[in-house]
Amino acid sequence: MRKALLVALCAATVALVPVALGGSQAEPGVTAKIITIGGTFPLTGVASSYAPIPKGMTAYFSYINATKVNGKRGVNGRQISFRVEDDAFNPQQTLQKTQALVEQARVFALLGGLGTEPQLAVRDYLNSKKVPQLYVSTGATTFGFDQKKYPWTLGWQPDYQAEAAIYGKQIARNHPNAKIAIIFQNDDYGKDYIAGLESGLGSKKSQIVATRGFNVTDPSVGSQLTDLRRSGADTLMIFATPGKTIQTYGTLPRIGWKPENIYLNSVSATDTFMGIAVRSAGAATVNGSISVQYLKDPANTEWNNDAGMKLYRRIMAKYLPEANANDGLYLYGMAKAYSFTQVLAKLGATPTRAGLMKAALGSTFKTNPFALPGVVTQTSGRDAFPISQVRLIRYNNGTWTAIGQLVNGRGK
Amino acid sequence: MTAGVRITPSLVARLVVLAGAIVFFALAPLFMSNFRQSELVLVGIYFIAIIGLNIVTGYSGQISLGHGAFMGIGAYTTAILVTKYDVGQYWTIPLAGLIAGIVGFLFGFPALRLTGVYLALATFGLAVAFISLAQSTRFEGYTGGGGGLALGVPTTPYYLTWSIALGMFVAAWLLLRGRLGRRLRAVRDAPVAAVSSGINLALVKAIAFGLAALYAGVAGSLLVIRTGFVNYLTFPVLLSILLLTGAALGGFGSLGGVLFGALFIQYAPGLSATLPHVPKESAPSVMYGVILLIVLFLMPGGAAELVRRLLGLLKRLTGPRYSRRTGERVVS
Repeated sequence: MRKALLVALCAATVALVPVALGGSQAEPGVTAKIITIGGTFPLTGVASSYAPIPKGMTAYFSYINATKVNGKRGVNGRQISFRVEDDAFNPQQTLQKTQALVEQARVFALLGGLGTEPQLAVRDYLNSKKVPQLYVSTGATTFGFDQKKYPWTLGWQPDYQAEAAIYGKQIARNHPNAKIAIIFQNDDYGKDYIAGLESGLGSKKSQIVATRGFNVTDPSVGSQLTDLRRSGADTLMIFATPGKTIQTYGTLPRIGWKPENIYLNSVSATDTFMGIAVRSAGAATVNGSISVQYLKDPANTEWNNDAGMKLYRRIMAKYLPEANANDGLYLYGMAKAYSFTQVLAKLGATPTRAGLMKAALGSTFKTNPFALPGVVTQTSGRDAFPISQVRLIRYNNGTWTAIGQLVNGRGK
Repeated sequence: MTAGVRITPSLVARLVVLAGAIVFFALAPLFMSNFRQSELVLVGIYFIAIIGLNIVTGYSGQISLGHGAFMGIGAYTTAILVTKYDVGQYWTIPLAGLIAGIVGFLFGFPALRLTGVYLALATFGLAVAFISLAQSTRFEGYTGGGGGLALGVPTTPYYLTWSIALGMFVAAWLLLRGRLGRRLRAVRDAPVAAVSSGINLALVKAIAFGLAALYAGVAGSLLVIRTGFVNYLTFPVLLSILLLTGAALGGFGSLGGVLFGALFIQYAPGLSATLPHVPKESAPSVMYGVILLIVLFLMPGGAAELVRRLLGLLKRLTGPRYSRRTGERVVS
């Protein structure tokens, strides 16, 4: 009797195997009509100033889902469903929300997850599960450098070291006798920038006369700036996220320091943040600041007649009518969503996770309507930094103006 | 501790509920995805932390807004031992509890001089200071500074967490129903009388803080083992407040309600997404706040009191009825 039962059980198991296999053949998150992706962003908490990014991405996907390409709406006839989760910039929450996206919502890929530490916290997990962690919203150099070790992870924007190297070269060329002071966010983000700056300065590295770090949760940066001022520096590098950058500007006039040259990283150099900095510190302090950009600046009138900018404004008016369309973070989100649709389109009728990574890692996309003309999104076997061209810009009375041609931070 | 346990109907009922809970948590993984299990791991971690908070706040009446900091100390103990000294991660759990416990014990002595809102502020300061220390460059060699420490791929230590949770629950129960529990309650309800009957106030309070921190340290250690990553943002001030909310909802001074508090912390944000007229981002905070207010105004004893009241109601409905006018038993 027991033997018979065993045989029956075995038979049932064998019979069920093909069913189970048949079920698992379809790629997670992909159906005939919909492709589901997800991402974690700080919608609340210390870094909630980045919340416009996922909104911009969602708006672009809504636009694509409603637009007919070759007679079909969406990408290759599939609608894109983008699930945005709030991780409050807490790595523990990032993991929890990412696991929910992968294991419960069964998303096809993670797109644009924001923040160096939060994304590092889920990199091992996503690679162990072989789930694409595509186009993370951080320029930490490790996402490009260590791409071979983490084949399911890829960055997107110019990396911080490359960006800072451009500042270094600019200083070495134009201000060879500069005495440089650095205020930086005391983590991998800030240190990436310092490493890049040193490599760009080359033999002029010794002209860095003082560096002071701050913690993200510090209430003020006054003591750091007082120290830096005392060093006699004439050039100030601000390697910080938007909130602390604005605070730095606001503190300068209060301690009576007006550095001849101020450089700030591109993350903080959007028109919205600069406007707040001017209100807090006065135009005299902020004017003349130098940064880089690789995307079009919606606050700058030079793009008023540009087709890409017109598309951006049309999408904003339709899907985010109440948002401040001059905030470059919405455009950043759209530019990233555009890159994703470019890769997705290459996958054809049967997208797979492996195919997605392969396409993202070995392609050149010459156009992105939201990026500066000439900026390409390019990767190859040896190069895992999709965007690496930027141009230097200078801030004056409410607008950024280009002060040079596109340069490639990775020397491609 | 008192020798010999008197068997009462209420004790039997409690043991039955406890046995039911054990069976549920022992069998749950058989019917659950790995993800649901990982959620329950977090519930277990909050459960352990809230037991600790209940000892210091519920039983000894000392408000602590810094419980997350003790979790952080436990978490960093584990992370540092694993990444810098190659200690097996499970072996670090007792050490994490011990170190957090010692810090909590030492913190308890100066805290003696503070009461009420001043103590709450001091513990709040602890939570804030921990965040600054954790990202400070001074200890970067150990803590990884702002970047934090990575242990690798996250795990789902389901049975480990719940075994520890059960052990620590029973330990707390045995401790609190005996002499220590009585002393803690005396310190809470009548500090002057407690001192006059020979209780060393400083020592009892310090022990309460030490025990609470020990529980928090173990919880923090488990959290870092589950997440595989720790940095200063993992233990925000909000976490301390959430734990206090959980303890209040479960019912201060009642161990039975702790599980409810832990479930609430884990699942309330998900439920809050269904709230109408509230933006998705702020819904969890709104929900925590509203529920906390409702509970504190209507049911200060939390879930435990609710159960007690329901049981009382049931007894009244099913038991013999008495006439309101004559006081005589009514036969229907």
